Amino acid sequence: MRTAAVAPDAGTEEPQTPPRTSDRLPFWVNQRLGLLVLTIGLALLFGALRPAFFDARLVLFPLLRDISTLTVVALAQMVVLSVGHMNLAVGRMAAFGALFAGFGYDRLGLPLPLGLLLCLAAGAAIGALTGWIIARTGVGSFVVTLAMDFALLGLVSLAYSALTENAAFTSTPAGLDELRAYSLADICVGPVCGSPAIPQIAQFTVLALIALGFLYSCTRIGRELLLTGANPAAAELSGIPTKRRVVTAHALSGLLAALAGFMAAAGTGTFRASIGDDFMLPSFLGAVLGGTLLTGGVVSVVGALLGTSLVAVIRKGLDLLGVGLESLNIYLGCVLLLALSADRVRNVLSYRKVVRST
Amino acid sequence: MSEPLLACEDIVKVFPGVRALDQVGLRLQAGTVHALLGENGAGKSTLIKVLTGVHAPDGGRLRWQGDEVHLRSPLEAGRLGIGVVHQERNVIPGFSVAENITLQQPPARRGLISPAAMIGPARDCLQELGLDLDPRLPVRELSVAQQQLVEIAKALHTDSRVLLLDEPTASLSPGEAERLFEVIRRLTARGTCVVFVSHKLEEVFALCDTVTVLRDGRSVLESAPLSEHTHDDIVSLMVGRAHAATAFTPRTVDASGPAALSLTGIATAAGHEDVSFDVATGEIVGLYGLVGAGRSELVKAVLGLDRVHSGEVRVHGEPASISSPRQALHRYGIGYLTENRKEEGVFLDQPITRNIAVTVWRKLAGALGQVSSKREQAVAQDLVDRLGIRLARLGQNAGELSGGNQQKVSLAKWLATDTRLLIVDEPTVGVDVRTKHAFHELLWELARDGMPIVLISSDLGEMVTLADRVVVMAGHRVRGQVANDHDYERMSQRIIRLIHDRPAPEAAVEKGRMTP
Repeated sequence: MRTAAVAPDAGTEEPQTPPRTSDRLPFWVNQRLGLLVLTIGLALLFGALRPAFFDARLVLFPLLRDISTLTVVALAQMVVLSVGHMNLAVGRMAAFGALFAGFGYDRLGLPLPLGLLLCLAAGAAIGALTGWIIARTGVGSFVVTLAMDFALLGLVSLAYSALTENAAFTSTPAGLDELRAYSLADICVGPVCGSPAIPQIAQFTVLALIALGFLYSCTRIGRELLLTGANPAAAELSGIPTKRRVVTAHALSGLLAALAGFMAAAGTGTFRASIGDDFMLPSFLGAVLGGTLLTGGVVSVVGALLGTSLVAVIRKGLDLLGVGLESLNIYLGCVLLLALSADRVRNVLSYRKVVRST
Repeated sequence: MSEPLLACEDIVKVFPGVRALDQVGLRLQAGTVHALLGENGAGKSTLIKVLTGVHAPDGGRLRWQGDEVHLRSPLEAGRLGIGVVHQERNVIPGFSVAENITLQQPPARRGLISPAAMIGPARDCLQELGLDLDPRLPVRELSVAQQQLVEIAKALHTDSRVLLLDEPTASLSPGEAERLFEVIRRLTARGTCVVFVSHKLEEVFALCDTVTVLRDGRSVLESAPLSEHTHDDIVSLMVGRAHAATAFTPRTVDASGPAALSLTGIATAAGHEDVSFDVATGEIVGLYGLVGAGRSELVKAVLGLDRVHSGEVRVHGEPASISSPRQALHRYGIGYLTENRKEEGVFLDQPITRNIAVTVWRKLAGALGQVSSKREQAVAQDLVDRLGIRLARLGQNAGELSGGNQQKVSLAKWLATDTRLLIVDEPTVGVDVRTKHAFHELLWELARDGMPIVLISSDLGEMVTLADRVVVMAGHRVRGQVANDHDYERMSQRIIRLIHDRPAPEAAVEKGRMTP
């Protein structure tokens, strides 16, 4: 059949480039590269204006700790965006996970790793429940996660006030303080020690990045998630268990949110209901700046890290320059608009270039 | 020759990597029907978009009654008098017929739109088209054909003197198409120029006065009188070489074993009753019927997307109760090539590799669920070669391919896995002559290798070319079966007689008075 299928086209001599093919765009159009350059450029600029920006212990360490946590938050959002959904309850799922960790440490006296596991399991479970409701009822993820956000807001506050005296679990297991305060400088191989700027808590972020990178670039489930997001009807007809993938994505999102909640709690040393309050907007910001599509089907794991870094660097830099909180937000808005439109400008320019050469 | 209403001179339009239009010329005379022909990807749609102000041309001129014009938006084109009815419906479903018709210039008093004042003009437009529609009816309650006519009425309301119709008959039944032609004749009688884009040459020859043929972005025949050309002339101009109908290698049907698919007395939630037929190994069984006969719905019910009330489905002799397309694929080896290529067939914004390999990831996956992209690409490359899919590279998004190639990608995913029964639904709608022919050969050869195929098609020619047997459906029931003798005249007689033997009223009425 091979010959028969090719035969009808074989005799034509005209060069059959398929119509409307966009050639591969030049490398500098790459969004991730642009983000990296922008982030480093801004960091250098801030460093030049305020040399204190490069202070490893006082500036870089907390900056990187924030980036570590918020990157995981962005990843939690990215995973649901990959199936074309959104998770408005990331922050509350983080609080929910942290509640279980705090409860485990305070009441059950669990060691550090077991509490973390409990936290992740709780996050995955609440995420899976959310996904199951969405898949089962067909109600949009926006509505379901919004409802989940309210439900968890009440539930978590109730649990804290019922279980604790001053609305926080304060007793922490051995190792948590180290996790908060230690950097690579505390790990030495012989006389060589790591950089004091890099917090140890970043290990979770690195693990999450590697795991998700592997999931999306190499595995069947990752591809099925993306195709479910790209076109649910076609995915269903192609034999992809789309409903199961929706549950997978939300469970994974819940798990990552809980991990972020744990990291945030470890960063402050207390497990309280307000953890994750400010997660929702950064989660979208990091993911979308990084190149993840809101409509599903396209994700960038590294982009989530870069997008989050850019926002964090801008915040920290403006803060050091003494810009007040209100004006800081104005500047931040402008820079983000620029960063997002720069991407568009790059695309238009390169498109014109390719057109001109045709 | 008098001054043309609208003329294109040396229009150039460039997209990255391709000159979509290369010095295209077109002269549209008032009161004529002008056919715009060409294979998929020849540049017809691009030309229409240039004429309606969607794309700005990169070179050349547009002249409106002799004066050069620059169209910056579809709105400007509309004001000038250029109307378009796209292949897809562009009506607002929740609005009434009158609101849709007067959408661009709603009758308003002091900035407030008055719904009552819309009825009059809307009714005038409908009457001009010879349509008896209530202007107050919401558009969502109309049939596709009626919605299309509403769009034409909308173009009338803006005083369109040039009306572009992009594949208007693709989703119409023969009766509805005839009605549309009547409307087109009325329009030309009042001095409108209608540009008619279609793949169906019979219609073109029946309707059009002049013709322009595009090939690879160039006009190979420009505004010539159609009567000077034969059917074959036009096809060879479109394809760029003499088009010869090739005879297929004969094939035999293996009826010895159990039928690959056997339906007995199927009744579904969609309204099918007592549907029975068999498909043997290596056999192509055609499901023919008019649009709305319930063919796709039947197949979807069998695939588990709708409920089967009663009756028995057997796949390769084994009783099957299929609950999802996933189960149909992995357990029974049934592949379904959907009729909605863009909505259900391909993932437009995803690489071709993923589009093809989606059905085999399960097989390729290792212990950790990892899929080697090398093996994935090998599978895709093999099928790209086998089916002759034209692409720049495998990582390209499927949406960048032409319609015919997208359809091949959509088919490729079923051939990648060990599909043991293939159901193809309108495989060549909106596909050009050459690709259509390649597709027919492909399906024929698949059957010759023993693949049982259910072919759903509204194209009678396709049925007669490919099928061994034609099962005729109307009103969600099987009307009869005809063994194919590959003679178009005889077959169409028999099939049409089967369909119209009884008038085919709606299924609900049918149930009450159906006696064998």
